[in-house]
Amino acid sequence: MLNDYALGGRERDLRNTADDPERAISQIVVVGGGSAGWIAACRLAAAARRSGSDVAVTLVESAKVPTVGVGEGTWPTMRNTLAKIGLSETEFVRGCDAAFKQGARFVGWADGAPGDSYYHPLNPPAGAPEVDLAPYWQRRPGGADFAEWVDYQATLCDAGLAPKAITMPEYAGQANYAYHLDAGKFARLLHDHAVTTLGVTHVVGDIARAEMADNGDIASVVLADGRLIAGDLFVDCSGFAALLIGGVYDVPFRSCRDVMFADRAVAMQVPYDDPDDPVTCHTVATAQTAGWIWDIGLWTRRGIGHVYSSAHQSDEAAEATLRRYIGPAAEKLSARVLRIDAGHRARFWQNNCVAVGLSAGFVEPLEASALMLIEASMDAIADRLPRTRGAVDTAARQFNAAFTHHWARIIEFLKLHYAITRRTDSAFWRDHADPATWPDGLAERLALWRDHPPAAVDFDHAREVFGWPSYQYVLHGMNYPTRYPRPDATPDAALAQRWIARNERVRAEAMQRLPKHRDLLRAVREHGMQTV
Amino acid sequence: MTRLRALDPARHGALRLDRARGAAGRRLVPVGRGEIAPLVADMPLLFAKDAQTGRFEPVALLGLVEPVNLFVSPAGYHATSQPGAAGLTALRLDAGGVDGLAVDEADPSLGTTGEPLFVDGRAGHWRAALDAALSDVTAGRALADGYARRGLLRRLSVVLSMDDGQEQVLDGLYGVAEEALAALPDADVVAMHRADELAPAAVLTASLAQVERLRQLHNARFPQQIAAIRLAIGD
Repeated sequence: MLNDYALGGRERDLRNTADDPERAISQIVVVGGGSAGWIAACRLAAAARRSGSDVAVTLVESAKVPTVGVGEGTWPTMRNTLAKIGLSETEFVRGCDAAFKQGARFVGWADGAPGDSYYHPLNPPAGAPEVDLAPYWQRRPGGADFAEWVDYQATLCDAGLAPKAITMPEYAGQANYAYHLDAGKFARLLHDHAVTTLGVTHVVGDIARAEMADNGDIASVVLADGRLIAGDLFVDCSGFAALLIGGVYDVPFRSCRDVMFADRAVAMQVPYDDPDDPVTCHTVATAQTAGWIWDIGLWTRRGIGHVYSSAHQSDEAAEATLRRYIGPAAEKLSARVLRIDAGHRARFWQNNCVAVGLSAGFVEPLEASALMLIEASMDAIADRLPRTRGAVDTAARQFNAAFTHHWARIIEFLKLHYAITRRTDSAFWRDHADPATWPDGLAERLALWRDHPPAAVDFDHAREVFGWPSYQYVLHGMNYPTRYPRPDATPDAALAQRWIARNERVRAEAMQRLPKHRDLLRAVREHGMQTV
Repeated sequence: MTRLRALDPARHGALRLDRARGAAGRRLVPVGRGEIAPLVADMPLLFAKDAQTGRFEPVALLGLVEPVNLFVSPAGYHATSQPGAAGLTALRLDAGGVDGLAVDEADPSLGTTGEPLFVDGRAGHWRAALDAALSDVTAGRALADGYARRGLLRRLSVVLSMDDGQEQVLDGLYGVAEEALAALPDADVVAMHRADELAPAAVLTASLAQVERLRQLHNARFPQQIAAIRLAIGD
């Protein structure tokens, strides 16, 4: 029986109408909770509200499957996502133990020598895209770091300053920023918002199987207790289980283990010694013998984890490395081990099912891409939701092409961090630097980027997930050897000088104006931020 | 520059406080809720954010280009009324001082003119005045909180067109969003009226016309003339 479970009286037998191209997409079922599921549900429900459509969103999740809780670092895109779903930034910061993030500092990646570190800030280089400062930096006096020279955000990070003041409105800052957050609390906050404010129907139950329509679409999912949830579109956010995209459609998984070696992570939640300890305003990624350690600061604790390759280091040695990094504070803490199956689906959208989050793919969190990919997926789905079944196939083709491209570029960009290292102290780094392990095209690009800075023309899509500024921050941060044209031979020299001078002015003003990161977080918690 | 000291009759016994000279070097001073109606006759009243909390508070705009109070001159104070906080800028709360007060010895309102700081060795009258002003300012902040909660505040910039063709902009100011106020549901309008929040919104908006008076006061005092002044609405 298909109609055991009533969802607002809108349940239908879709098996025989699924191939009607005019059938409206009005019931969307999100399978799986966690960050992906609740972001998906919120985005879809908020978009429906905004447009006045009658799309209804149901999220079904198992009570037995714990959320993986990966992704404690976001991109600045999260500000847009939260604003789009109508969540106040104050509520978000308070509810998710959140802190502000201004980029990442990579320690020991270039050569592993003492003092080896560089920033990848979230601000683009000054003047971008009007002028490219890289050739001027190359011949800079005094040998300043690239990120320091073309932007001021690294200075803020070093000083422990926040990217905004309490007088600035929600989602606005002096410097670009993202967040560090508690993923479990984030999912709970989104759940509450989705259910109480956005009208998402929440169903708790274990999915036993799917009912298929004649055209191969999923007509409904059937829960273990017999309840049935019908839908026009299914968003698979079931995590590594990939219940629909893998379990129903058996879409192949494309591993990238041959490129990205890390397949394990061991993580700990480390409370501050003193509640007033500074909260670091950037991710610290410190290279290790067979991987790297992330260190992020939240309001009440740090989240610290070691990503490593089990082919290069045992689990015991990896945990010992993590404990050594943390120091005495780790003695009473237990570690949590995560498996990383690096790669992604060959297709993300099949029939009326689209995979978002871990069911679509996962790769080590070196550039915090997990939550960003969820957001980008939901931007593509919610903002261009097919109105009818007939439009679904077009949307699927576009989505698959876009995200196949995005995944390729993400893997290439992450590999870049390893490929140009000069570390030779372990097989892990030597293997990564071996061009035989590089994705297609990286060697060619690296050859190009010896002579010319990464530029927009080097990339295929107008909206790349990692644009040329990110490539510049990594390449120049790691002192990749270059031989760019002399700056005095370029016509933009005066413009470049103006931007460099302006950057210095903004740096001085920001250092004067911005508060310590913890002081800002305290003010947000005590007083809240204003909306204007 | 401030020079705070716990109030001490031995050190401050001969000093007087001239309220008319208070806030002489300030462009903005907080305004109490009870002062909104009288002050509108003289000066533009807006909202600004407290630097420590980010919360809105009603403020009086007293100056434009230079950090001076255009209503204060060597000859005295030139307006019908004065924000209570403006006359008390020399005083602070301090448990260690007489009657729980401290003074800012660098404040221009302290000196040889005005009312004595001490009467019979006590400064209780000043403490009462400060408490009353702070209480009214707190009520003003509560009013602003209510407007902010209802989404009734918007950014306003004061744009000065100087006679040399340059433009200067005063940011960090906010005003009542009239469209948002007009679009409020009936029940909210009634609730605001019953809470005496509606009339102040209209009065605050009406006060904005007083920016022209500031322009005139500025031009009467400074050689660099302001040719025109206008308010620009932000996001």
